[in-house]
Amino acid sequence: MAHAAQSSPVARGSAEQRITARKEPRIGFEGKMMSPGLVLLAALSIVPFLALIAMSFSRVRLLGGVRLDVAGLTNWARFFTDADMWMSWLRTVVYFVLTVGLEMVLGVGIALCLFRVLRGRNILLSLLLLPMFAAPSIVGLLGRYLTDSTFGLYAWVLRSLGYTGDILGSPVSAFAAVVLMDVWEWTPLIALITLAGLSSVPQSVREAAAVDGAGGWMTLRYILFPAISNVLLVALLIRSMDAIRYFDIIWVTTNGGPADATKIVPVRLYETAFRFFDLGYAAAIGLAMLVFSILIARTFVRLLDVRGLTR
Amino acid sequence: MDRYPPQPSRRDVLRGALAAGASAALGAGLVSCGSRSDVARTADAGPWRQFQGATLNLISENTAPTAAIAAHTKPFTDLTGIEVRIVTLELSALVQRVALDLASGRAQYQVIYADPYQVLAPYQRGLVDLRSLQADPNLPDLPGGVGDFIPVQMDAAGRFADPEPFYALPYDAPTMIWQYRRDLFEKYHDRMAGDLGFDPTPGGDRTWEEYFRIARWFNENAASDVRYGTGHQARQHDSLMNDFSNVLWSYGGTYFDNGREVGRLGTRDPGPCRLDSDAAIAGAEFYNRLLSIADPASKTWDWDGVGAAFRAGRLAMCPNWHEFAASNETALPGRVGYAVLPRGPVATANMYGGTGVGISGNTLPHERGAAWLFLVWATSPETQLANLRSEAGGGTPTRTSVYEMPEVRAAERRPSPMPNMLTAAAVRQAWQPDRIGLRPKIPMWNECNTAIFTQLSRMLSGAESPRETMRSIKSRVDRIVARGWVA
Repeated sequence: MAHAAQSSPVARGSAEQRITARKEPRIGFEGKMMSPGLVLLAALSIVPFLALIAMSFSRVRLLGGVRLDVAGLTNWARFFTDADMWMSWLRTVVYFVLTVGLEMVLGVGIALCLFRVLRGRNILLSLLLLPMFAAPSIVGLLGRYLTDSTFGLYAWVLRSLGYTGDILGSPVSAFAAVVLMDVWEWTPLIALITLAGLSSVPQSVREAAAVDGAGGWMTLRYILFPAISNVLLVALLIRSMDAIRYFDIIWVTTNGGPADATKIVPVRLYETAFRFFDLGYAAAIGLAMLVFSILIARTFVRLLDVRGLTR
Repeated sequence: MDRYPPQPSRRDVLRGALAAGASAALGAGLVSCGSRSDVARTADAGPWRQFQGATLNLISENTAPTAAIAAHTKPFTDLTGIEVRIVTLELSALVQRVALDLASGRAQYQVIYADPYQVLAPYQRGLVDLRSLQADPNLPDLPGGVGDFIPVQMDAAGRFADPEPFYALPYDAPTMIWQYRRDLFEKYHDRMAGDLGFDPTPGGDRTWEEYFRIARWFNENAASDVRYGTGHQARQHDSLMNDFSNVLWSYGGTYFDNGREVGRLGTRDPGPCRLDSDAAIAGAEFYNRLLSIADPASKTWDWDGVGAAFRAGRLAMCPNWHEFAASNETALPGRVGYAVLPRGPVATANMYGGTGVGISGNTLPHERGAAWLFLVWATSPETQLANLRSEAGGGTPTRTSVYEMPEVRAAERRPSPMPNMLTAAAVRQAWQPDRIGLRPKIPMWNECNTAIFTQLSRMLSGAESPRETMRSIKSRVDRIVARGWVA
């Protein structure tokens, strides 16, 4: 039986396959080609990441070379019991929802308007994209200048409309101002991505919808949105990742104030690490931010995966 | 013979990559550490030329004295043959670079602008005790010795915890004083005096309560000349702590027990915070009241902001650093007056924000010698005088002998070729030991300071009462101090 089985062509073929599979190098040519990149990645990402984990359980000494004193769970215990930190997380979430939400709504709206424009669309698009090319810190400086109550244009306009306060001087208006500065800068990106998505919707489909008597809203609801939803999801992912680590504009305009109203987690992280040099606690905050970012990213990637867009 | 040589598994490759990455990072670090070499010394070239050919890097806050030094390093290079490269940064960025440089074990920056509260106190162990260089017979001595520096500034900017060693030489001396529109005070003097019932002329006899009433008077009666009577640097920033502290101390409040010593020499363990005292709460209540009639934009201004608003003619008066005098005189020539800050019910205080210049402890011996030459030159009476004359800016001297020079004395009156000297009468009073305002010099001050100005900002926004604010600052500061400082 055994002999018959071994001598049969089917059995012989499968045995050869097993031998070939066993002897085939597990890291092939591609793996070897990737090795330099992996080494670089290890030097730039993995080693710092492991160092970050070690630091989060330590007190970090700087003078005379960096040294770690084991601190156990002190930094993590502080992280979970720090009321100011939780307020920062709350602000971060509110900020995240407002900026990304507004950018998506406005970006899609602007893209739909531009999509209907036939003449001069390129000029309009170029003008629209201008804010995106400014560095965030420049946007912050510009925002601070425009809202300055001595010579700022926006401050003057608001004053002439009866607003007597100072835009960056009160918690609510300062928070709104930094949200709007971010929205001003990054809405064009959403508009650009959406416009690209809209341009890919076949003309024939839109014409067919029009022939079938679909109105503007119906076309939008049943033709355009389903067609661009995947593109919108990618745009949302890109902006979400950016919004989580938002820092520059707040640092330049309000420094986290007034009354901590704009102190979101990245600002607090920077402050802890590079103003107080409490690097152990900063490492704990940084790792928590990383987990938060991964959770958000995974949510979007899973959504894309469901739609088969990650393959 | 095996046709297929053993192949590394995926895990092996990842493990190897990790090890190689760590080795690469470590190797790069070791190579960079190993490549250090000291500057050459020519023993027979004389004390000033012995390190010729060396290059020094100075890291400094972007202040007026450094602007002046940067514009005039040629005389130093001519004298010593040493090149000086100057990096100027905003203070928090400077502190960051200095800390990382000290941590690196190298001395990318040999000469350090050592802010007493953000650099000297936390990183004193990373700075050179300058007594060793002063005592070195091969190096030039300090002209006039250490005793020529204004004593309280020498302690505040140069020493930490111990009265003997000094780690920095006083380099600039910004001090908060009362800056006011002299033209408007003259114009309205009689009317104001009649309405208010006291002589409103700014000076050390005025009280904070009178300051408040003058400010309100301007708000109500001089709208055609200025929009607000007073403006403040009350942004959620270091500036807010400075502005508030003047009032706090005047009302008898203090950050810690033995506040004057903690401010002058500093300590590593200041004990419990005393901001919950009745005097401190009274000071906070007054400050809150004062800000309620100040320009609303005060809550967005640091010292630059309030300075710009004052120069723009928006304010009748403000407390600000005296080194703004030069720019005031450019924008409002002859129209600005200077006085010490008002007194409170208990005392009077003018916040001192001076800084020293020190040497990194990571320097090699000859580098250290070259850096000492720069310190001696940069703080010498001749250089301080040149800075006063500089069109690039220039602070005010930190040496007694410079203030006694006839040309400097003459510059205290208009027209003055050294506009910062117009404040000399005010700052001379402000630097008296019983009038100078010295914030706590403790290693963890940066974090305490942040807690203080953040909670004050909450008070000014109406989120907390002055009493709650002082109590919440106390609890935060106590927590920070209890954690201690690791450097």
